[in-house]
Amino acid sequence: MIGWYEANIVLIEATFLNFLLALSIQVPLRVGVFSFAGVGSYGLGAYTAAILTIRYDVPAFVAIGAAVVFAAVVGYLFSLIVARLNGLYLAMATIAFVLIISVLATNGGELTGGANGLYGALSDLTTGGVVAVCVVVAFLLALTERGPLRRRIEAVREDPELSMSMGIGVVTVRQLAFTVSGALGACAGAMNALLRTTVSPEEINFHLIVLALTMVIIGGSRSWMGAFIGAVIFTWLPSMLATTGRWQDVVYGLIIILAAIFMPTGLLGLVQSLYQKLRGRSRTAAPAEPPAEEAVEERAMLQALSGESKEGVR
Amino acid sequence: MEILINAVTLGSLYLLFALGMSVAWGTIGILNFAHGSTFMFSAMVAYYTVQMVALPMWAMILLGAAVGMVLSVLTQALIFNFILRRNPDLLKAEMQIVVGGIGAASVLLAIAQHYTKSVPFGFSASTFKTTTYQLGAIHISNVQLVILVAAFGLAGLAAWWLKSARAGLALRAIGVNPEVASLMGVDRGRMALGTMAAAGALAGTAGILLTYYLGSIAAETGDSFLISAFAAIILGGIGSVIGVVVGSMILALAETLVVTQLSGTWASAVAFGLIFVVLLFLPRGIFGRKEVRRT
Amino acid sequence: MTTTETAAPYVLEAEDVAVHYGGIKAVDGFGLRLPPGKIYGILGPNGSGKSTFLAAVTRLVPLTRGRLLLDGKEYHSEPPMKLARKGLARTFQTVRLLPELTVLQNVQLGADINDPRGRLRSWLGRDRPSEAVEEAIERTGLGDVRNAWPTELSYGMARRVEIARALAARPRLLLLDEPTAGMNHSERQEVSELMQKLRDEGLAQLIVEHDVQMMVDTCDHLVAMNFGSLVAEGSPQEVVSHPAVQEAYLGKRWRSHA
Repeated sequence: MIGWYEANIVLIEATFLNFLLALSIQVPLRVGVFSFAGVGSYGLGAYTAAILTIRYDVPAFVAIGAAVVFAAVVGYLFSLIVARLNGLYLAMATIAFVLIISVLATNGGELTGGANGLYGALSDLTTGGVVAVCVVVAFLLALTERGPLRRRIEAVREDPELSMSMGIGVVTVRQLAFTVSGALGACAGAMNALLRTTVSPEEINFHLIVLALTMVIIGGSRSWMGAFIGAVIFTWLPSMLATTGRWQDVVYGLIIILAAIFMPTGLLGLVQSLYQKLRGRSRTAAPAEPPAEEAVEERAMLQALSGESKEGVR
Repeated sequence: MEILINAVTLGSLYLLFALGMSVAWGTIGILNFAHGSTFMFSAMVAYYTVQMVALPMWAMILLGAAVGMVLSVLTQALIFNFILRRNPDLLKAEMQIVVGGIGAASVLLAIAQHYTKSVPFGFSASTFKTTTYQLGAIHISNVQLVILVAAFGLAGLAAWWLKSARAGLALRAIGVNPEVASLMGVDRGRMALGTMAAAGALAGTAGILLTYYLGSIAAETGDSFLISAFAAIILGGIGSVIGVVVGSMILALAETLVVTQLSGTWASAVAFGLIFVVLLFLPRGIFGRKEVRRT
Repeated sequence: MTTTETAAPYVLEAEDVAVHYGGIKAVDGFGLRLPPGKIYGILGPNGSGKSTFLAAVTRLVPLTRGRLLLDGKEYHSEPPMKLARKGLARTFQTVRLLPELTVLQNVQLGADINDPRGRLRSWLGRDRPSEAVEEAIERTGLGDVRNAWPTELSYGMARRVEIARALAARPRLLLLDEPTAGMNHSERQEVSELMQKLRDEGLAQLIVEHDVQMMVDTCDHLVAMNFGSLVAEGSPQEVVSHPAVQEAYLGKRWRSHA
């Protein structure tokens, strides 16, 4: 057991970091915001923590804390800028945001180390610290998945207009989602930079966006557990697929396609609906449609307007 | 002058690539993330073919267009159609379509990387040889001429078809209101398949021409083209043919200027920056349709 | 319903309300005054602007012109989410239940607005339905399906959940947008009876409905609308026999049949 742990320490750490990265995409998705800005925050956090550690040799929690606060503020400001955008337009704008951060890092000169990135961010961050942060985050998110908070989040995602008429501040909820997403992404990026002691602009690319999205889609987009399942799968799958040789990326892509078609709610959603089926309730019954009774209505209207009594014609 | 011609050539390639993507997005509502991989994959198939048989350029273009068409139709029939059948609300299926497209893109990219080992490939085995003409002060190569003619010819054709042909009208009707269009007897499934076929053929053509123009491309070239195409489409306005033309040209001009005046590392920021600025200040693009308000 | 009596003679006042989209005048100079404990109905053919008026009253569409007052206080520049706390609740023309919440949870969402103090406790502890939720479920006869999912309900049942959700907020003013559409005769009867009972307890209601017979049976006062403006107003009998109303409905109906 100890031997396995030590042999796989990198993968174990990566699982938790990927978990946080996935959450930074999932939190906005849960309120119906299709944003990849969390991946940009990952870059912001990684650079902030690395710069603080290299230049000022601050303790890990200060470097990470500063990175989280900085990215949360950027996330909030970003939400104000993109307030009018929705759906795919918003997704595009956030992709642009991520890639701009990568370009800025490449051209940041001495501060960001240019295309080579930064080296030697040695700190006192331990695996235990990473796990502790993840546990706290998971606990806090679990609180948003029950009771009144869950109801509000469901309402904002499914029907913003309805939410407003129920007294929920949709705009505030969305801004909050961007802020939290920024904090989570930065937390993942900062801890990754400190554990690996390096950061480079190539890390923040389109593939990181794809990874973050697929973890959430395949794990499940409604609960932190889904993000965790996705993180476990996509951290460990590559080493398990190693037996398939160079075809592993093809298998990867096929899994994504199958998930998009057959598991819109992810593995977690699949398990949950199976469980519900076992308990004898299906949620896939046909949705309620208004019955077509235009003719009846019309007759009633004509009756009423022509002053006939209800029994008159029948 | 040289710079301008290079910029217009690059713009024409963006145009060929983005045209089908924009029309598909603006009419049948499908944003195909596998478009970049389709484009690259067509060039790769042509590369392996030309290694065996020394083909002329026109045959390569036809081959690339055919491969692109087949890939695009397969993506539509095997992925997007299934997603839409299980989830008829296009707005809710939007994200799954993006994810499905990303999956298809990953598969194509992985196959290409497997065969090419990520080494750039070119068409040096083709019978076509590049020559440069001198027209007064202008140097222009025969590849550039083919690209310009193909891009503007096909864009003109697409614009005419959407405006005048019966099927084009039906396609635009789907873009405005899918329900009414299907009530009017428009077969959405067939229109979608046809649109995707045309989009794929255009992507394949663009892939072949880009490879001739640059000498070689790599498996990863598709991804960067995808982002540029987004910028061009959003800038011009989704679904508008003139919009894609103008968007592609502005993007190519801006990128060329940045590369020559500033530095190569900033070039990719142009596309991302444009996406951002346009979405914020001109969310419907230059030629975008105003949103139809329905209550 | 626990409503505090206020000095204002009207729960809702709308004066000269106009909503224009570009050149289209969906609502143009329409107004009404709704006193407490009364049911008012808005009558009008499709496209007459009645749903847009309701959207304007709930601030979901911006006013081009006009004033809106709730309990004598102007609110037409306030954002829509402030209205729920002021005692305004509504149902929508189509069923808008949240598919991933049970019937009970959907109704609880309505009551959440009145529970700001207990919030932290309900995040951590058990989330027991409040008295208002239980009462709303009981009055709409949803006790048997309280743990069902919205997709398992018949259309008429789903509409009742919408009404329950609005009632759970214990509003001072209830807006109902075609509450009985898609219901069978006995279900309509039940909704009508429920509305009259709520009125007797002092709840003001404004209803938009196609079923003229139901409107005549239920409402205290009818307002007829066409082309975004007032056509006729008065007691239900007066309004349905008003020549302009007959013309708006019957004229149009017959033309569309020809």
